Amino acid sequence: MSLLGGHEPAAIPGARFMDPVVLARIGNLELVARAVCDGFINGLHKAPFFGASVDFAEHRGYVPGDDIRRMDWRLWARTDRYYIKEYEAETNMNFSVLLDVSKSMDYGSRGITKFDYARILTACLTNLVHHQRDRVGFVAFDSEIVEHVPPSAKHMDTVLHMLDRLKPGRPGGRMRDPLHKVAEHFGRRGVLVVISDFYEDPEAIVDAITPLRFRGNDLVVFHVLDPAELEFGFSDAQAFEDLESGEQLPVVPDALRKEYVALVRAHTDALQQKFSEVRVDYTLLDTSKPLDHALYSYLGGRERKMRSRQ
Amino acid sequence: MSFLAPLFFVGLAALAIPVLLHLIQREKKQIQYFPSLMFVRQVPYKSVQRRRIHNWLLLMVRLAALLLIVAAFARPFFGRTDAAMAPGVGARELVVMLDQSYSMGYGDRWDRARAAARDALNGLGPSDRGSVVLFSSGAEIALRADSERGKLIAAIPTSAPTAGATRYAPALKVAGSILAESSLPRREAILISDFQRGGWRGEEGSRLPRGATLTPVSVGGTADAPNVAVTSVSLARSTFSNQERVLVTAAVVNRASQPLSAGMLTLEIGGRAIQTERLDVAANGSTSVAFMPFSVTGRNMRGTVRVGADALPADNAFGFVVSPSVPLRVILVDRGGAGSLYLTRALAIGDAPRFETLARQPEALSDQDLQQANVVLLNDVPVTVALGRRLARFVEAGGGLLVATGPRATWPSEVDILPGLLAAPIDRSRGDAARVGALEFGHPVFELFRSPRSGDFSSARIYGYRNVTTAVKDAQVLARFDAGAPAFLERRVGTGRVLLWASTLDLSWGDLPLKPVFLPFVHRSVRYLASYVDPAPWLTVGQVLDPDAAVGTRSTTGGRVALTPSGKRVSIDDEGGQVLELTEQGFYEVRSQAGQGGDAGATVVASNVDPAESDLTVMDPKEIVVAAMAGDQTAGGAAGAGVPMTPEAQERSQRLWWYLLCAGIVLLGIDTLLSNRLSKA
Repeated sequence: MSLLGGHEPAAIPGARFMDPVVLARIGNLELVARAVCDGFINGLHKAPFFGASVDFAEHRGYVPGDDIRRMDWRLWARTDRYYIKEYEAETNMNFSVLLDVSKSMDYGSRGITKFDYARILTACLTNLVHHQRDRVGFVAFDSEIVEHVPPSAKHMDTVLHMLDRLKPGRPGGRMRDPLHKVAEHFGRRGVLVVISDFYEDPEAIVDAITPLRFRGNDLVVFHVLDPAELEFGFSDAQAFEDLESGEQLPVVPDALRKEYVALVRAHTDALQQKFSEVRVDYTLLDTSKPLDHALYSYLGGRERKMRSRQ
Repeated sequence: MSFLAPLFFVGLAALAIPVLLHLIQREKKQIQYFPSLMFVRQVPYKSVQRRRIHNWLLLMVRLAALLLIVAAFARPFFGRTDAAMAPGVGARELVVMLDQSYSMGYGDRWDRARAAARDALNGLGPSDRGSVVLFSSGAEIALRADSERGKLIAAIPTSAPTAGATRYAPALKVAGSILAESSLPRREAILISDFQRGGWRGEEGSRLPRGATLTPVSVGGTADAPNVAVTSVSLARSTFSNQERVLVTAAVVNRASQPLSAGMLTLEIGGRAIQTERLDVAANGSTSVAFMPFSVTGRNMRGTVRVGADALPADNAFGFVVSPSVPLRVILVDRGGAGSLYLTRALAIGDAPRFETLARQPEALSDQDLQQANVVLLNDVPVTVALGRRLARFVEAGGGLLVATGPRATWPSEVDILPGLLAAPIDRSRGDAARVGALEFGHPVFELFRSPRSGDFSSARIYGYRNVTTAVKDAQVLARFDAGAPAFLERRVGTGRVLLWASTLDLSWGDLPLKPVFLPFVHRSVRYLASYVDPAPWLTVGQVLDPDAAVGTRSTTGGRVALTPSGKRVSIDDEGGQVLELTEQGFYEVRSQAGQGGDAGATVVASNVDPAESDLTVMDPKEIVVAAMAGDQTAGGAAGAGVPMTPEAQERSQRLWWYLLCAGIVLLGIDTLLSNRLSKA
């Protein structure tokens, strides 16, 4: 059974699953994002959450100062009273992606690195959100904050440009420091997406991420891993070098594969459990799987949130 | 077994490499990068087991390949330490080099040389082998490595020496190669010659193999007998009463230390003495004698200047061949009028060769005209399809065609022999006139103008020219106008040539005919088109006779045959590019094998001996011995002594390294195949 077995999406009618390796070759992130999102949206057809932000919510009585353009004149004709129509989402949502750009993300065994996968995922999510008129923001971090784009409706291009320019170079440290620091900047409620490979103790990860929820932010976590990290499918005995620390270890893959896979599974299971305890959506992504899956996870989660709010 | 370079066995340490590779495959050299070793570190470390040797066959193949290659580099050989290797004992390899240059005909040198050769060969024992090498300017093996004394002595020529000059280096090289390949313990060479100084130039590379000895046998002796040589003649042509006449002046050298007085120098024409002059030459001096001019009455007149008999008769005669100068027949095709004035005047000048110009209108040009012509010159005339096809046949058969294009020139598109396609005229009468530049100075037409101040084509102003598109594959642009358009082009069609001048050769489109370069340009172009080569009145023995140049300017079909001065018939196959090396003194007659043209179609070439050979100044033979033996041993001490073969010589004669190296390479190939098969498995 695959480690991703529990997270496999249901079949989405009409959805196109695009090979991440092919997408990585395109180079133009905007084009990639549009290609993925268009296909995804076409696949969903009439998604219930689509357009939810302009759905009618309730009437309330007119008070001086309200915009008379929002007055319900038909109701006035029937009741001879002034009412204002209120909608579910009057204000645009803040949406920010917090992307881990540490050196460990610069790894790929099947044509696409984790960083490229995460970058395309970020571009797709921001593209999707931008089309809903929400504000998009972006934070890149390793052991500290590398880049910070505050959420804004006009920052879509800035985010794409920054994604294009970013290169993982420095080793990552404890996530706690940069994430705690950046949590102070999210003063307004919104949706935060954290994308990382989470090479840290689960307790420390949850401890680092939890403050992001303090202001009522919805938190979505994508755990990006390469198939080689999940299955450890190496055959030759050779020296393995840690991309972040540079440490080298002689490794006989055949001998330790079993223990390694068990440890990784335990790690992901622990993350899954701890994030669910703090009501954070956790999704494990395999870079060999199509991106549509990640989008579905995010949007599915959003849908559930909205339904529970209603 | 011994080894010439045993230090290479240090390379056997390389045998450990495949063993180590087979045993120690713990960790590959390359590093596997991994995002984080967080989980790997948590797994207890397990050291890799040393692998056992799985593929014994592969290991053995690799070891054997390396062993063989190292052994090959160590140069192994089977040493011979038996009694036969003792000095002065053992079979002999003897090479007798006999000088047969014409200087050996001086006095009784030739007889003494042959006697010396016979003596040397008579000294061969039953287990010895001998070779006879005859040399002059080249060397040939008369008999190689034979132990029958009778056959060897019979290989010594009984005829007179050849007409060649002396060169020692080729003979030494041939002897060296025979001795190098010999496995006999004693190797000797004997050089029998008159040791002329002129035959030795201190040639490098003419060394005998190490251990071989060279014994010089000089048959020179004193050279105080009278020896006069005719070294060259000069021929001056003149025309008197429409009769071509030749004035012969002969150069005579007296090589003796006594002056020659009241000698006789005779000029023979066609084998008959027509004039005799008195000859007085100082000791070791020279003089020139001029004869009265004689009329050139026919082709291939054989002339000889001969001096009276002396001790070296070969250099007493000097032959030459005189023929009436053959004009180049040029047909000038124009439209009449004064358009060809400058061309006609230019072709009227010239003696070597003379140009015989025939003017024709395009429609009056007959097949008979073309048959007799060497070159056809089209001066701005329109060409019909019929005329174009006739001209194409003319060119393909070896004729030359020069096309000058003005406003009237046309060429039928059905006939594809021009080097370019004629397009619309370009008018440069307004503004700056066009200039001719970018000449191909390497081409025979423009070679004359290569050096500075030897003719300036750019001084000519061209007011108009025809645009020529060079779409033809084998066309070559020889000159261009300043705008880059081709001005002068060439194309080879069949065995003939076509030149295209993109402007006129009169004053209508430019002033080129008024420039000094015009005359040599026209002459060189016509000579080139006619493939004209200045005839040489004589050649020297050792030179190569080019049948094409000998028979005439046009190559004929079929083979050719040469009649040598001694009366031998030698066939020359022109298809195979065979040439004839002149080896005899006298007159060679070359004619086509089919007998085309009879006597009139034959060409006679005079072959003279090298005059430098008549200089009998001798050298010290030790000079050659020292150079040939490269300081190995001196001639006197080693002559006749049995010398054991050096290790280098033994190794060279066995060449075991070659077989070992081949076997090693084959094993490496097998190793590659095995490895591929095992890795796939």
